[in-house]
Amino acid sequence: MRRAGEAPAGRLALILNLPTLVALACVLAYPIAFAGYLSFHEVSIRQLRSGEFPFVGLANFARLFQDEVFWLSLRHTLVFVAATVTLEVVIGLAVALTISDERVWIARVTRVLILIPWAVPPVVNGLLWSFIANAQYGYLNRALHKLGLITDYVNWLGDPRLAMAVVIAAYVWRTTPFNILLYHAALQGIPPEVYEAAAVDGASPWQSLWRLTLPLLRPIVAVTLILRTTFSFTVFDEILAITQGGPGNDTWVAAWYTYRTAFQPPFNIGLGAASAWVLAVLTGLAALAYVRLVYRRLEYA
Amino acid sequence: MIGLSRPRRLMLWALNLVSIAFLILPLVPVVLGSLQSEKSMQKDVRALLPSEVTLANFKLVLSGGRSKGPIFEQVTYLPKSVEQFPTAFGNSLIVALAVTFTTLAAASLSAYTVARLRTPWTQALLQLSLVSRMVPLVVLMVPLYVLFRSYGLLNSLTGVIVAEVGLLLPYAILILVPYFAAFPAELEDAARIDGCTRWQALLRIILPLSTPGLAAGGVIVFILSWHELLIPLIVASRPEVMTVPVILAGLVSDYFVFFTLMMAICLLGLLPTLVLVLALQRYVVRGLVAGALKG
Repeated sequence: MRRAGEAPAGRLALILNLPTLVALACVLAYPIAFAGYLSFHEVSIRQLRSGEFPFVGLANFARLFQDEVFWLSLRHTLVFVAATVTLEVVIGLAVALTISDERVWIARVTRVLILIPWAVPPVVNGLLWSFIANAQYGYLNRALHKLGLITDYVNWLGDPRLAMAVVIAAYVWRTTPFNILLYHAALQGIPPEVYEAAAVDGASPWQSLWRLTLPLLRPIVAVTLILRTTFSFTVFDEILAITQGGPGNDTWVAAWYTYRTAFQPPFNIGLGAASAWVLAVLTGLAALAYVRLVYRRLEYA
Repeated sequence: MIGLSRPRRLMLWALNLVSIAFLILPLVPVVLGSLQSEKSMQKDVRALLPSEVTLANFKLVLSGGRSKGPIFEQVTYLPKSVEQFPTAFGNSLIVALAVTFTTLAAASLSAYTVARLRTPWTQALLQLSLVSRMVPLVVLMVPLYVLFRSYGLLNSLTGVIVAEVGLLLPYAILILVPYFAAFPAELEDAARIDGCTRWQALLRIILPLSTPGLAAGGVIVFILSWHELLIPLIVASRPEVMTVPVILAGLVSDYFVFFTLMMAICLLGLLPTLVLVLALQRYVVRGLVAGALKG
């Protein structure tokens, strides 16, 4: 419906969207393109001061692909993504199923607490776990010792595998609530008649879980897989706060590599831009692959 | 509803208790650590509970290092983060509020066009928001730094605000669209028959009706802005423009700071968003679900 003297819907939409479009163009689109430009130029402190970025062709990418630490970071990132996304889905489903049965009142208590880890700032989460896992004073050692599970204190962050495990645990703790929330919402959308019918047909609770509930949750699990994979690919705060990439290079991940190359001496911004681009392409591919594989009936748009 | 057998009830109780432990146990060390002195923590490294409880860490941090008390009187070294905490808290508040209002203003205009003015390209805008939300910040940090450097936006709260608005805007649009699409189109049509222009209908009918959506979007954007580390870390490195996450990150490379003090700063840094989430849980939950599911 349109009244005389009023802008047509199309033009009105354009006017109302101007702020958004300007913001997206300035803070997202242009910088992404600019990162591409930087990755083909030599950019370091000296060039930043002079404002002239000499063109170097593919030199940054060549250097990147020859850098062992870059490949190491990519491998760590893959391990990190696989572990965190799996745990987020499994723990998320388990907790969501637990709180969805309203017949025990404690489920209502659990529900109120779900978002607590989500509310913790990522960098605080990192510092908190660095304290938990500290070899001398940490509460992980204290608790395990009290329970009689260890006799000597373990140097969690001094061992490559254990350090990675601590970072994974910290990240999973903070991010799983998002999954719990979405699974819980989806579970509430399943009409109870479905279960009653299954029970009448003689299905055990276990059978209705595997044959009914989980298949019905597939679309939402796919959504969380896509979202969590892309975010997990670029984990930064917990790495910075818990291990700073250590011990040695053993918890270097892609985002940490980009940050360290561009913003720590020798400030190789061109190389950082190149690795950022590789990371963007990888995240994009991961998202695409998921959309294709698991999420054919796209409910999204 | 089918009744519960006794073993099943017991199992559900056990599972709930395990879930509760998972959700809150990691926060216990923050509380225990922040409530004791360095000496008390070093005295018995096997003890779970502090030998003495004190609020000295909080007093020190909240006063920016001035109120030392008996515990810190003899201490010669205090991390810079303690001194910077009050300023950083104020900066974080300014940034989060400015980001929230700017983002909500732009996002609600866009969400309105997507939900209400069904032109082909507003649907494209929705897809664009979806893709933009996935852009990893790591890709943006390098070019943003170089661009902000040449525009003189480095080391200013304005720079931090601009970057965060751009980053959070697509997500805010995704959260708001389902709310704007939820009520019947007849409402707006009726207002327009009564003589409202589209603009008036948006301001007087649609926005007031979308208050729950605006609250949800607002509180989520505020929290994400409060949590943001990478943008202010790169864009704002001077002490006077640091935000809380940045001074927290400053503790990482400080090998002399003790955990008790660190946990006190952590607790003060996480309290605002924790309180917000618990107080406005209903909105946060609906907003997060809306932003991930429909569009």
